[in-house]
Amino acid sequence: MDVTDDVRAIIAQSLKIPVERLTPDTRLDELGAESLDVIEIVFGLEEKFDISIPFKADEGTRVTIGGEQMEFSTVRDVANIVQKLVAAKERAKAS
Amino acid sequence: MNRVVVTGIGVVSPIGNTRDAFWSELVAARSGIGPIEGISTNLFTTRIAAQVRDFDPLQHFDAKRLTLLDRFSQFAMVAARAAVADAQLALTEEAALQTAAIVGNAAGGQTSLDEGYYKVYALKSPRLHPLTIPRLMSSAAVSQVSMDLGIKGPTFTVASACSSGTHAIGQAFQMVRTGQVPIAVTGGTEACLTVGTIKGWEALRVLSADTCRPFSKTRTGLVLGEGAAMFVLETREHAMARSAPIYAELLGFGMSADADDITAINTEGAARAMRSALTDAKINPEDVDYVNAHGTGTALNDKGETAALHIAFGPSAERLAVSSSKGVLGHSLGAAGALEFAATALALHHQTIPPTANFEERDPDCDLDYVPNTARNAPLRNAMSSSFAFGGLNAVLVLGRA
Repeated sequence: MDVTDDVRAIIAQSLKIPVERLTPDTRLDELGAESLDVIEIVFGLEEKFDISIPFKADEGTRVTIGGEQMEFSTVRDVANIVQKLVAAKERAKAS
Repeated sequence: MNRVVVTGIGVVSPIGNTRDAFWSELVAARSGIGPIEGISTNLFTTRIAAQVRDFDPLQHFDAKRLTLLDRFSQFAMVAARAAVADAQLALTEEAALQTAAIVGNAAGGQTSLDEGYYKVYALKSPRLHPLTIPRLMSSAAVSQVSMDLGIKGPTFTVASACSSGTHAIGQAFQMVRTGQVPIAVTGGTEACLTVGTIKGWEALRVLSADTCRPFSKTRTGLVLGEGAAMFVLETREHAMARSAPIYAELLGFGMSADADDITAINTEGAARAMRSALTDAKINPEDVDYVNAHGTGTALNDKGETAALHIAFGPSAERLAVSSSKGVLGHSLGAAGALEFAATALALHHQTIPPTANFEERDPDCDLDYVPNTARNAPLRNAMSSSFAFGGLNAVLVLGRA
């Protein structure tokens, strides 16, 4: 499952910008996303995919998932994190 | 204009429920942060808080009266009684008519609210306790303080999130200074460690998983706390006439609003409140020896507050001692400013700077003297206590040695 389109839609909706402005390489900070915007995006993603993203304001653009540090800067980064957490959720469900 | 002094201090805190216990733990940098007890934590990931421990309400109130008292009112009442006793103040009928009670509080009776909602939504209970509303209103604490001590002068609650306690004390200070009342019982109280509020704080993504490390590069966020601190303020003349003990003199109060971000500190706004407090106190930046900082242990606050101190103090910032008490006390929101005012007044009284606890590593963006981990004896002439609340509401008090 490719989550990129959903991720783009949620970011666009949170920032109130047209989804066309978002490519995989677009950085959240260049869109003017401030800390509260970012946690709203995180919340939107968690609600949409029923996952928990261990994002902390003080860790800036990094998220630690299962001991692995992952970047949280671009649309692609965010999609990668969501993808990983969704896959982990599916695996947990299957087992 | 009257000179205004602090003659009584009462605290209920994560590090002890007497003034002396509070001060000795604060100076020793022994943190009150620990595993959450007494609240079901299965609905959240947060495992730590700075809770008030060893507080048995039945030691202070009979069972009948307790049905009216949310935890945040209990804290305020116990602290207010201690402050009045500490000041050796007899609130006679005549004095009570001229005494103000002003208490800061951010969140109201959250324990009552949380329990009530749980009963209605989860347990499908058809009814709530008849005293639910008088228990949870945010003015309940100050109302109960007034009834408990018989205070009949101006009495109300001040709400400005994390600046509530500081705004309340500042308001009381102004009323005593201008002669509206000769005595005020004032401070702040908070008890909002409930499942609902902790979930809300988790959603802001600012809570630390281990501990609070203000101004340290290794900081991981803030830790919620609870408690109350209450004070007796009175005119210096009134205090001298009755030979009352004097901890410190209140010299100035500064306020500002950022009109900017709902959560982030604005350096200009914070600096304006500090400068306004210095102007009100009629002292210069170089006359201040110690600042008890807001110091929440988030990157945004600590870096922003440091920049604000540079703006407000200019070159004098270099020789200023700055410490945050939140590594020890956690962040008790509406009570924080009051507990930190107690720390500041006691620092002047004991001529000792309480340290910034849990400090591990210097942050290049935080370049002041944060008095890391070890208290310091130093001649302190004047000191400042700062609060910078969500919503950009800033309040700063300046005190002088008695």
